[in-house]
Amino acid sequence: MFYLRYLRNELVRRRARTLVTLLGLGVGVALVIALAALSSGLDNAQHKTLNPLGDIGTDLTVTLQPQQSQSGFGFGGPGGGGADRDLIAANQSVITDLSKLGKPGQHFSHDFFLPGSQLTFQQSAAQQVAKLQNVSQVTTGLTLLAEHQQGIVPKIVAKFKTGGQTFRFNRNIPRPTAAQFQQMQACFDKLRKQNGGSSGNGGNGGNGGGGFNGNGGGNGGGFFGGGGADRGAFAKCLPAGLRRIRTQFTTPQQTLKQVLDPPQTNIQTTAYTIGGVDQTNQSMGVVTPAQVTKGSFLSPKGGHEALVSTAYAAKQKLKIGSKLDLNGTSFTVVGLVEPPLGGQSADVYLPIKQLQKLASEKSLANVILVRATSSSDVSAVESEIKRALPQANVASSKDVAAKISGSLVDASKLSHDLGLLLSILAAAAAFLLAALLAVSSVGKRVRELGTLKALGWTQRLVVRQVAGESLVQGVLGGLFGIALGVAIALVIDAFGPNLTASATTGGTLSIAGLAADTTRTASNSVSLNAPIGLVAILVGFGLALLGGLIAGGAGALRAARLRPADALRQME
Amino acid sequence: MSLYSLEGVSKFFQRGPTTIRALDGVDLVIEQGEFVALEGPSGSGKTTLLQLLGALDRPSAGRVLFEDRDLAALGDSELAELRLRSFGFVFQQFNLIPTLTAVENVEAKLAPVAGRDPGMRTRALALLGEVGLLDRADHLPAHLSGGEQQRVAIARALSVEPRVVLADEPTGNLDSRTGADIVDLLAGLAAEHGATIIVATHDAELASRAPRRLAVRDGKLAAPVFG
Repeated sequence: MFYLRYLRNELVRRRARTLVTLLGLGVGVALVIALAALSSGLDNAQHKTLNPLGDIGTDLTVTLQPQQSQSGFGFGGPGGGGADRDLIAANQSVITDLSKLGKPGQHFSHDFFLPGSQLTFQQSAAQQVAKLQNVSQVTTGLTLLAEHQQGIVPKIVAKFKTGGQTFRFNRNIPRPTAAQFQQMQACFDKLRKQNGGSSGNGGNGGNGGGGFNGNGGGNGGGFFGGGGADRGAFAKCLPAGLRRIRTQFTTPQQTLKQVLDPPQTNIQTTAYTIGGVDQTNQSMGVVTPAQVTKGSFLSPKGGHEALVSTAYAAKQKLKIGSKLDLNGTSFTVVGLVEPPLGGQSADVYLPIKQLQKLASEKSLANVILVRATSSSDVSAVESEIKRALPQANVASSKDVAAKISGSLVDASKLSHDLGLLLSILAAAAAFLLAALLAVSSVGKRVRELGTLKALGWTQRLVVRQVAGESLVQGVLGGLFGIALGVAIALVIDAFGPNLTASATTGGTLSIAGLAADTTRTASNSVSLNAPIGLVAILVGFGLALLGGLIAGGAGALRAARLRPADALRQME
Repeated sequence: MSLYSLEGVSKFFQRGPTTIRALDGVDLVIEQGEFVALEGPSGSGKTTLLQLLGALDRPSAGRVLFEDRDLAALGDSELAELRLRSFGFVFQQFNLIPTLTAVENVEAKLAPVAGRDPGMRTRALALLGEVGLLDRADHLPAHLSGGEQQRVAIARALSVEPRVVLADEPTGNLDSRTGADIVDLLAGLAAEHGATIIVATHDAELASRAPRRLAVRDGKLAAPVFG
């Protein structure tokens, strides 16, 4: 038909203008498609990585962190007295007498297993949780920090006691008033009469009177010392303000210092993390068969088998069939795993009973994994656990995910925040360009279009012709944009960078001024891909059409304002 | 019934504060089949008069009657219809569509009339044959000389068998030799097709070819001057 031929001729013979419009629209559409694909790819990767507990069949993890003890009062050191004691007690095994490892000069190799800041508790505690409402399943795990030490037993070994150090503390104690003093004296006299005999320390008053600004003194010194039984009774006589002072306590602080700061010998230390998993439970555990990438999971028998994370295997050059010697017992690597991020990931996994034996933590665990009956019950279960076990630290997938950082998380955020904005800007820019070009083109064809009107073309015909040209450009631009967008997405797929997500749990442990690093960091590397969605393509094409229509409308409006007399314009 | 009857026709243009009187009280009668030259210098109003005769514009005052119909009373689409079927225009600058070939340019005037009629192409080619450009049917205007382009324009104007052919300085962009040929062609074909010709020109030589010469001066028709 004549009009189509005219339209085709116009687009073909005014090539430059057509190409620029096509390019503009096409790039806009391509950006929308590519950004949508990228965003989708990041979402996929994020979903996979950031639902860490989901992959191991778990909704909540329950652990025990060292707590500030509520009763007594700390002596002002970091972490508080109660927490320190728990930590030290838990990590006792590192406090070893090096002489136990062999004769001086002998070579030794030993693995120490420490729970770090995730304290151990009886495995049976899990049953308490299992009894709660809306709890579908419960299992336990044991994730420990392992320190592999090897070297020569040093000649000079520090022998030490793990107790008996008396702690002297200086603190200003308010002096009792004379009246208070009188009261105390009377009370003591009464008690002494009650207890009958002994401790006739009538003169203690004098000693005490001046001695409050200072030392608790040595064994049994001062008023309040000496003899456990008496101590309690005497304390009753104290005015409230003085009752809370303890004169004595022993701490293995000194001990620890000597062990963690051993004399310089040829001792090499390497650290790794090790997890004990209930291998009989296939659907839930600190690692499950779903994470196995090569080889097989631990067999239900729970023998001397081990799983190793792919990252650790690469580092230590381990493969299926390699043997791990842990304190004399040989474990065979039967599978490589990709543990989920956050919390309970480890380098090596053993059947939990085997690890308990190795670490001398029989029947102990340090994490309970909980699955709720349905996802809507998770927060209810979380509150119940917190009520039943007030000292417990309960974490859900969301809490764990919040600790995950890395380029994947950053890229996802960026894509979410900027992706939509960029798409809109790209589309708007493309429309604007197409509209401007359409209007300017009509401006250049004033005489031509005016002539058509002079020849007898109606307003409608002229407008239809101009709008049609823009619409066709929109379609062509859309097709071009789809091709370009798909190409960009494919390039991202093929050459896209690897994004990482890593989670660091634990922290620096400060025991009486000494720091030990108990962080566990696990990392997942995800290859960035950009899946092309049909919806995105349709949307992109629709946008191009819309752009064409807008441009056509703009051009048509301009064309409609032309008068037939414009055919006679002399300028052009 | 006269073909055209103009009564007290005026046309004013507003240029800022000043009003330009392009035409001032023109009375004119043109009969069917005449060959009329509107002769005058540039700015005399001859082009404006041609525009009004060709229904390209409306008068500010007075009446323009074409076949006893007042053009002012017609709506835009009726005027377009008139331009399409009853008038054929030839311009000084040829005004061919640059992206259409010679035959397609002729079809541009036929398309709104002929629609999907397959005979349209045949008719267009026939007209090109009448102006002697059949062998140039598929050439773009850029590949045609000035004279050839104007001949295509004449073919285009005549393609719908119009009542009137209006030409605005048709030889203005042509050398005198070509110009003379064009005028002869125009006059000959118009007579053959039974069309009235109205030509606006400042060229006295061209004007002398027309049996009726009207002098246009300062928006008014002056007394005819022959010679």
